[in-house]
Amino acid sequence: MFKKTPLAAGIAAVATIIFAGGCAVADAGKNGKVDYTAMTPHELAEYLIFEANGGGFNLAQEMQEGGTARDRMKQDELQKACSIIGDGKPDAETLEAVRQAATESIVYPEGGIQLGDWERGRVLAWSGFGYRVGHNYDDHNVREVGGTCYNCHQFATDRVGGNVGPSLTGYGKTRGTSEPILKYVYDMIYNPHTYFPCTHMPRFGSSGFLDKQAIADIMAYMFDPESPVNE
Amino acid sequence: MLKKALLAIPVALALGATAHAEKPPEEVLQGLIDSIDSRYLTQSEMNLMMMPDNPALWVGMDGEDLFHTPRGPNNVSMEACDFGKGPGVLEGAYVEMPRYFDDTGKVMDLETRIVHCMTEVQGFAADDPAVRQRHGSGSDHMKIQTYIAMQSNGMEWNNPLDHPLEKAMRDAGQVLFARRAGMSDFNCYACHGQSGKQVRASVLPNANVPEDWTKAISWPAHRVGHDNVRSSQHRVRGCYYQMRQAGMLAGSDASIALISYWTDMARGQPAILPDMKR
Ligand code: HEC
Ligand code: HEC
Repeated sequence: MFKKTPLAAGIAAVATIIFAGGCAVADAGKNGKVDYTAMTPHELAEYLIFEANGGGFNLAQEMQEGGTARDRMKQDELQKACSIIGDGKPDAETLEAVRQAATESIVYPEGGIQLGDWERGRVLAWSGFGYRVGHNYDDHNVREVGGTCYNCHQFATDRVGGNVGPSLTGYGKTRGTSEPILKYVYDMIYNPHTYFPCTHMPRFGSSGFLDKQAIADIMAYMFDPESPVNE
Repeated sequence: MLKKALLAIPVALALGATAHAEKPPEEVLQGLIDSIDSRYLTQSEMNLMMMPDNPALWVGMDGEDLFHTPRGPNNVSMEACDFGKGPGVLEGAYVEMPRYFDDTGKVMDLETRIVHCMTEVQGFAADDPAVRQRHGSGSDHMKIQTYIAMQSNGMEWNNPLDHPLEKAMRDAGQVLFARRAGMSDFNCYACHGQSGKQVRASVLPNANVPEDWTKAISWPAHRVGHDNVRSSQHRVRGCYYQMRQAGMLAGSDASIALISYWTDMARGQPAILPDMKR
């Protein structure tokens, strides 16, 4: 996984120096006001998030994963590389670097990939709870973190899923449960950039969003012959 | 309900008279529906039918009273406030916001401009409930915002980009729109970059299709699921919340930059004000 790298920290640091000093910003001197028009759009966007009037977001709020919202808003290398105006893809070299880093980020369970409890997986695949902050903070002590999978995918047809990603209805029934297909799905959940660099699907494993048990349970929901996904 | 429905016609007429609305909002929307094939625009026939009876019309009527009544420690009405077209001029003001205001040296959206008017012109303290309470149909803010916005119904979005600050904010907003961060790596394209995409049962607007996007950004709108009239700022906050990014601060320059960009993306398309959403 791309870490919050020195590179990322470096850019933030440079921004702070420029703005705190005011010197690099044209005409900032007189009234001590920062001149937005002297910045590039990227510099201004970073400035508006992290600096302007103390920051455009509630940056001091503590996050469920530790650290503050300021940490969460910092981009790691993947997020930077895949933030393209117009939603295009970066150049082939960058894409390959994203793909490679994703592959290296994947950690497999000891004893191999196992399917867990499909009934819990059904709940987790549906649940949109977890890691939301701001005005209505998700307290992970009160409820367990879900996978938000239904937001983007259709699974069993008893509930309406989204179509941002492909339909996964009948997944286990049509694909079987061979080792390669289990690995493929585990990888997709853990870090989908290994197959689809700069995809819009989240990295549920590398980000720490879902733990090993949750991934095993959601996979059971997709593969277990008893699961309504495979009716 | 029936009583409301019967009342709806006079309300629409009364407001129409002041609101320069040749076409009521539902006809503006119908025009868009007729112009392109969009699952987003057509997803709720129910809302389209209910729009003549949109509860936001009442909220806007309350706003009309609030706007024209002398209020605050200075006992002046909002007619003394400039929303970009001169003091008290509201017709077409909202579709040309966010814009640069000389008196503050800032680019402001409707909500921050109302705050400015309440505090600087009417003399309200910043922590007065009239200023502080931003959400809900019962809030002064939503009433006043809805009233002002309705004076732009059917008009084309056209936020000015002549001032260098307006341009800088719009361009920064474009970067914010594409900027991935947080636990889910989302940017706005993740859900608003293609047509016909659904998150669960909701069909999402495509930001690249201006006919979709004008409805998407037509706030204030009555959100049926919330049973309240909601603002642009409320929507921005909601999407960052779903994205698992930090809590957006109301009226921050980051929020205004984003709204400058999203308004620019709907440029030339008619605003639906007030709208009704899921
Ligand atoms: C924001 C939307 C989004 C969310 C949330 C999401 N996915 Fe995906 N998913 C996608 C997209 C998009 C693809 C297709 C890959 C691509 O083209 O980028 C995909 C692909 C997949 C695939 C590969 C399907 C195939 O056969 O090739 C699997 C499996 C999958 N997702 C499982 C999940 C699971 C399990 C979850 C919940 C833990 C989940 N997804 C959450 C968007 C999402
Ligand atoms: C994970 C998916 C997701 C992401 C990412 C996302 N949104 Fe949304 N957005 C939604 C959903 C879902 C709705 C519609 C809510 C409903 O139908 O109840 C919505 C609604 C909207 C609307 C109003 C349209 C309507 O009909 O309600 C606007 C405008 C909007 N989003 C802007 C943005 C912006 C700007 C960003 C980036 C800062 C963003 N969204 C990111 C899911 C998303």
